[in-house]
Amino acid sequence: MGVINSIVYETVVYLGPVLLCVLGGLFAYKANVLNIALEGMMLMGAFMSVLTAFKTESLGLSYLMAVVSTMALGLVFSFFSVKMKGNVIVIGLAINMLVPAIAGFVMKVMALPTITLSWFSPRSIQVNIPIIKDIPVIGPILSGHPPLTYISYLMIIIAAVILYKTRFGVYVRVTGENEEAAISLGLKTNWYKTAAILIGALCCGLAGANISMERLSLFTNNMTASRGFIAIAAIYCGRGKPIPCTLYTILFAIINAVAEYFSLQVSASLLLKAVPYFAMVAVLSIASAINRRNASDRGAFAD
Amino acid sequence: MKKKLVAVLLTGAMAVSMVACGSSAPAEKPADAPAEEASAEEGEAAEETAPVEASDLKVGFVTSAAGANDTGYNKSAVDAIKEAADEYGFEYRVVEPSSSLTVGQAIEGLAEDGFNLIFNLEYDFAALIDGTGATGNTPIAEQYPDTTFVIYNDNPNVNEDGSTKYSNVYSVMFNVNESSYLAGYLAVQTLENMDTLLPEGYKFQALDNGGRAIGFVGGTESAGIRVYSYGYMEGIEAAAAEYDVTYDYYPTFDAGFVDSAAGNTTAGNMYQNGCNVVFADCGNVGDGITERAEADGRLAIQTDADLDATHPGFILTSVLKITGSPTRAIIDAKVDGSLSSMDNLLNYGLDSNATGITDLATMTATVADADVWAEIVEKVNDKAAKIASGEIVVTNAQVGDTFDPATCPHVVEK
Repeated sequence: MGVINSIVYETVVYLGPVLLCVLGGLFAYKANVLNIALEGMMLMGAFMSVLTAFKTESLGLSYLMAVVSTMALGLVFSFFSVKMKGNVIVIGLAINMLVPAIAGFVMKVMALPTITLSWFSPRSIQVNIPIIKDIPVIGPILSGHPPLTYISYLMIIIAAVILYKTRFGVYVRVTGENEEAAISLGLKTNWYKTAAILIGALCCGLAGANISMERLSLFTNNMTASRGFIAIAAIYCGRGKPIPCTLYTILFAIINAVAEYFSLQVSASLLLKAVPYFAMVAVLSIASAINRRNASDRGAFAD
Repeated sequence: MKKKLVAVLLTGAMAVSMVACGSSAPAEKPADAPAEEASAEEGEAAEETAPVEASDLKVGFVTSAAGANDTGYNKSAVDAIKEAADEYGFEYRVVEPSSSLTVGQAIEGLAEDGFNLIFNLEYDFAALIDGTGATGNTPIAEQYPDTTFVIYNDNPNVNEDGSTKYSNVYSVMFNVNESSYLAGYLAVQTLENMDTLLPEGYKFQALDNGGRAIGFVGGTESAGIRVYSYGYMEGIEAAAAEYDVTYDYYPTFDAGFVDSAAGNTTAGNMYQNGCNVVFADCGNVGDGITERAEADGRLAIQTDADLDATHPGFILTSVLKITGSPTRAIIDAKVDGSLSSMDNLLNYGLDSNATGITDLATMTATVADADVWAEIVEKVNDKAAKIASGEIVVTNAQVGDTFDPATCPHVVEK
């Protein structure tokens, strides 16, 4: 049982930040401004949260700065992509390259290879739920995690409600599916696109803070290690729908944790570490094949 | 109007961050200006004794991929160069190779610019020795015979018959196998006495319930990492044989040097498997591992710099590789002219201050039973003396020694 509990726990560790990215990022996907800067924004959140915590020793401020800094990046992204109508891929790439450069530069000036928080221990914010924490499988899912991991669970519902039950969600989807029609209805499509990007940025900021501050209380450059791209893959697999996207994210997280665990037991561990990525390519192909077959319309956003 | 203002502000923010990006990316850092001023006086003082005038000396330094700002591997050498530059007053330049600047190009560029003592800390010698790099077919060492090149961690500068290929290339080797041996030996000794030494504040796996297990997390699969693992295993073997017990050994060589969150997970899995000590030889990823050691109440071993105090009580020791020490020695030798009489292969073992394990001060302050601990430290020192005298020979994978698992019957590799 210990083994399974430990794999489940590590699954949730990996899942938390990626899920936040997915649920935030799918708004931009739905609004037809693909945000490939999720990775860079997440790294920004990771960096700013630990940097702020290091300088101010205030937990609240560090969450705030993680969100503010990524929202600023989101504004930059929206300005160039929505307002200036630039190429979203190029702008996203620029942000992905810019953030590690900024972090590296700041750390160089500070002469620190890693920013480590000595005053703060990740254990202090873990939510341990009595009784539940001893139940196998359910225990490690529900207990022993930092607050943002629970927020990532909540986000599944929040994202679904916003997207399907509010006027805002409808307008975002209309903007993405047929912008001309939306404009003809008098919708300010640029506004909805920007808002969708900003929701993604906010979630990325939280995801970053979850990886660096809440889990490790330290920041090393590039520590997000392509989790943002995994998130993009999950968004594509689930075609921007909150529940399917969540399921794909969980699938990736489970594969990752299992591979990570068993890489200790076998000698071909390098091959095993490639398994999550093989699985991702396979799932992406199968998902798109199935989606295509059932599609009555052509085009990326045909539902 | 408001929108325009926002636009201008955002563009400004972008421009500023571009500048920030620009200053972190460039490979070159100019020498400190004051160093040049100082060279006038210092250079004259050195003139009487030194064949190489310090003011003529130009030191180039190529960092490894981690860059000059790391946990100690590059930083130690760069600091040594800065310190020497302040004293002697020579010009120096630190270059960080990148995707657009290969190590070969960096070395050649420095040599072309007249830098006559060039250090290369990256594990890439092709362009320098074989000329097979991006710089063409003539080895850089041959193109610039008057320039002294110093490389670390490997000795590719040999012909097939074993003779030195280029007399202007010096290879610096750290016998980290010996230090790792001590770390492994210390780990087992500590675990076998953990009830007396570390009775509280830890969550060790009981020894007779799978707790006789030790992990090793390497950043990449190479002789430079294997050398740690083999020495470590032989140290574990030595101590396990003393107690006549068997230890499980969990090595991985794929942690990389970046993803500290994944390193944290790997270490967690090792602790879950019963490992009570995990050796982190993977740069920044090690920080994720030591964090996990504290979270799980187990022990970790760090590498390169003395990092014992980063998680006091949870880092057993650090296997040191102080690159600054030989770097400084070579600069000194270059200045006083004794470099040409030095061997082209420079080995730094336990008797130098370039490698070894830490003074254990942090753990000494942690242990509950100082007497037992002192006995263990005594035993470790005894092993160190035997290694230095040649009585114990530790496999050295970085010079091509092969490791025979049969020599470690008390260690079961998983």
